[in-house]
Amino acid sequence: MLPYLGYLLLLLLSKPLRAKEVVYDFNVTWVTANPDGLADRKVVGINGQWPLPVIEVDKGDQLVVNMYNGLGDKSTSIHFHGMYQNGTNEMDGASMVTQCPVAPGSSITYNFTVNQNGTYWYHCHTDYCYPDGYRQALIVHDNNSYFANEYEEEFTVTLSDWYHELAEDIKPEFMSVYNPTGAEPIPNSWLFNDTQGMSLSVKPNTTYLLRLVNIAAFTAQYFYIEDHNFTIVEIDGVYTEPTEANLLYVAVAQRYSVLLTTKDTADKNYAIVTVVDSTLLDTITPDLQLNHTNWLEYDASATKPQANITVAESSDLSPFDDATLIPYDHMPLLENPTVTVNVAVVMDNLDNGKGYAFLNDISYTAPKVPTLYSVMSAGDLATDATVYGDFTHTQVVDHMDIVEIILNNNDTGSHPFHLHGHVFQVVDRYPPYGSDFFEFADAGIPQPYDPNNHSAFPAYPPRRDTIVVPPAGYVVLRFRADNPGVWIFHCHIDWHLMQGLAMTFVEAPLMIQEKLTIPADHYAACVASDVEHEGNAAGNTVDLLDLSGQNQQPGWIPDGFTTRGIVSMVFTVLSAILGMGSIVLYGLSDLKHAKKPETQAEVSGQGVQGGQDDEYQD
Amino acid sequence: MANVFAVQVFFILFRECLEAVIIVSVLLSFLKQSLGQPHQDQAIYRRLRRQVWAGSITGIVCCLIIGGAFIGVFYGLGHDIWSNAEQLWEGIFYLIATIIVTVMGLALLRINKTKEQWRIKIAKALVEKNKHGKKSRLLGNWARRYAMFLLPFITTMREGVEAVVFVGGVSLGYPATAFPLPVFTGMVAGLTCGYLIYRGGNVLSIQLFLIASTCVLYLIAAGMFSKSIWDLQYYVFQMRVGSDVAEEGSGAGSYNILQTVWHVNCCNAETDNGWDVFNAILGWENTGTYGSVISYNVYWIFIMLCVAYMLWEERSGRKSLRERMLVVMAKVPGLSWYAKPKLAVLQENPEDIVRQVHSGLFNEEPVVEQQMVEMK
Repeated sequence: MLPYLGYLLLLLLSKPLRAKEVVYDFNVTWVTANPDGLADRKVVGINGQWPLPVIEVDKGDQLVVNMYNGLGDKSTSIHFHGMYQNGTNEMDGASMVTQCPVAPGSSITYNFTVNQNGTYWYHCHTDYCYPDGYRQALIVHDNNSYFANEYEEEFTVTLSDWYHELAEDIKPEFMSVYNPTGAEPIPNSWLFNDTQGMSLSVKPNTTYLLRLVNIAAFTAQYFYIEDHNFTIVEIDGVYTEPTEANLLYVAVAQRYSVLLTTKDTADKNYAIVTVVDSTLLDTITPDLQLNHTNWLEYDASATKPQANITVAESSDLSPFDDATLIPYDHMPLLENPTVTVNVAVVMDNLDNGKGYAFLNDISYTAPKVPTLYSVMSAGDLATDATVYGDFTHTQVVDHMDIVEIILNNNDTGSHPFHLHGHVFQVVDRYPPYGSDFFEFADAGIPQPYDPNNHSAFPAYPPRRDTIVVPPAGYVVLRFRADNPGVWIFHCHIDWHLMQGLAMTFVEAPLMIQEKLTIPADHYAACVASDVEHEGNAAGNTVDLLDLSGQNQQPGWIPDGFTTRGIVSMVFTVLSAILGMGSIVLYGLSDLKHAKKPETQAEVSGQGVQGGQDDEYQD
Repeated sequence: MANVFAVQVFFILFRECLEAVIIVSVLLSFLKQSLGQPHQDQAIYRRLRRQVWAGSITGIVCCLIIGGAFIGVFYGLGHDIWSNAEQLWEGIFYLIATIIVTVMGLALLRINKTKEQWRIKIAKALVEKNKHGKKSRLLGNWARRYAMFLLPFITTMREGVEAVVFVGGVSLGYPATAFPLPVFTGMVAGLTCGYLIYRGGNVLSIQLFLIASTCVLYLIAAGMFSKSIWDLQYYVFQMRVGSDVAEEGSGAGSYNILQTVWHVNCCNAETDNGWDVFNAILGWENTGTYGSVISYNVYWIFIMLCVAYMLWEERSGRKSLRERMLVVMAKVPGLSWYAKPKLAVLQENPEDIVRQVHSGLFNEEPVVEQQMVEMK
């Protein structure tokens, strides 16, 4: 009896520790900020502050975020990037996927259990709002991690690009007939922890945990510390076998945790170097500063020299290949996929002249009803992908399917793809990180994945939630559909998401209907935003298979002559013929003037001419 | 093809050569009528005929030299600057070329009328020579002695320089390689045609040939007009897009879809072989814009209206538009030197002058042909 009592006591005592509730009240308003010292701009602040607060919870906590939209002119939402939201799909925060946009003056509460660990971030997921500053790190501490006792202190480092214009003001120039190549807007500067030229103060001979998060809208950055190696222990919330590295390529939305042991002596400060992946930038003006130095500060009084960057091009750097990492839990390769999704990234123009991004031939176009709400209102038809519309690119999968995504890249740029609600196994990627990574960036001949001819899959593939697809290369990803919900799979370059580079997974829709209850305030957000929350993608509640009126991508550019072309061609030819007819008429009427010269020729030419006349007649 | 054969140049050369030949032939027939009869002094006749030939050929050579220098300077100074904003300059030059071709093209169809006018012009010049010759004995004697040299020399040179200026204006969009062939073939065609007219070949078939070539000339002009609008539109598009347009080849993004009537992802006149011929002759572009299609149609409608007007003008016997324009121009101080002589030719009673020539030109000779002229 006594041991039982002790156990019960322990359980009672430990329970509040394990399951504490962490509440954040976010009043979202516009504030002014100037993090790069170049220009004041309007940014999205929380409770009047920017940079935004880092959300910190312990593994197992209940996270509650009460958000009030005080922006006044713009809808918003929060996506907790990397959170599996298993059983709480409605809290995923992606507008028109799992919720309605939260209109100005409305509130919404996100409430979910954080049963995972590691480095994450949160950001707005409504249209294109997070480049306006609405993004920050989210840290889930875990005292039971295998490396918990190996470090003394931890730092969170966010990397970001920075625009001086509001995304809504950039959009008209980006999505424009005058930007046919879809050249992405070039950031004005880059930030390190939402500032520049900062120092991380360290003691000698000490180990630190460095959490790197790329919270940028567009650009990946290389990261290294002069004369220091570090040990990778986590990627995107998944612990890895400790792996030594000295150079990382951190794409948008990716995270790395590294253990950094400082030097024995403290007489010198070392540069923490970030180098923007310049292959992403179409035009680089001379004033653009792509390399940045921050410092690992051993001695505050010592000099802080600017890093000496020896490579001419960022692509000359050869970063650590994340596809070679091994998860600490040694989860084996998922064999025998039951569903294979084979899609290719394509960039093209549609008939409004603007540049769009496609997976195969679909440019994701948000439905009229958030897809999750379509699931909830579709009954048995929820398993029919038709319900979700022709332009959400929806793939319905069953519970516990092994899903394989073959993602080919027909574009010559790299794309960091992110799947909500899951980490996927990276089973193959070509070309790998390193000197060959940009091999096809210029030649542009896509190298599609061949299931019958590929490199051997690793026994314990790395898992992450954001993976970079190489230029004109491919990745092959696998995940187990163990998380009923609606999950969007998209390129995390926000400009590409704007162009429609996304698709939707509807996972075990009938289980979603069983397990999920949409909170009243979520539906209320729809009413406030004037967005329908019932019916299929077209908002049709009667006939769920009738998609008339659904949101559509613009039409394809016709190749060759359309009716209008033929009609105008006919008129063109006709007017040319008539015009020439009039010339002929005019020409022939000149013959009346010809009499005189003719008689004159008779006089002057005399006898010579008779014989030669015939010769020239034909 | 457009880089090897500038069609506009061919037609300009063709027309100017034809005109030069007509001048020479008119002169030769004057001589023949005045001096070339069997009972007259064949030595004088041959000498004067040699003078005509010498004058014409010297004039042509001179104009070639002047023209060569002119074009050389044009290219040397300007071509690099113009090639930097290719579409803009191409658009402007095509517009200039269209105007030139349009203005001079229909005149080609009045070859018989032109010939007649030249007859008057030359006759008048000869009469003038005789009058002014008295002022300075020395110069007068010389001018009189070599009238048959000077007249064709000056006229061919003037026509030639005119041709060169036209060619220069029309063809600045072209590389230098586009010149030799059309210049050569244009001259050959012009000379041949002129010779046929001189020899009094079948008037109808010559006229048909002229009509056909005029039709081609106007097809080119319509194409150039359309292309000039196209170029200017494209220039504006290019300015707004930046350098990216060139990257796109023929595909989406290489043209402004919002102004497009049709587009085919092939047959690009700039990059695909063969289509540049269509471009040069018909103004083909693989993108038809509202601007280019409408301007092409408008051009032809304009031509039809012009033709209709001129036919009406001729039939109603009114003062021609040209004459009225010359009247206006003669009143403008800077232009009167150009307009007055032309006006004089138009307004003079042609038969009078011609008679004067025959009676007064070589007054030491007996007037034999006068009766004949009067009979006409």
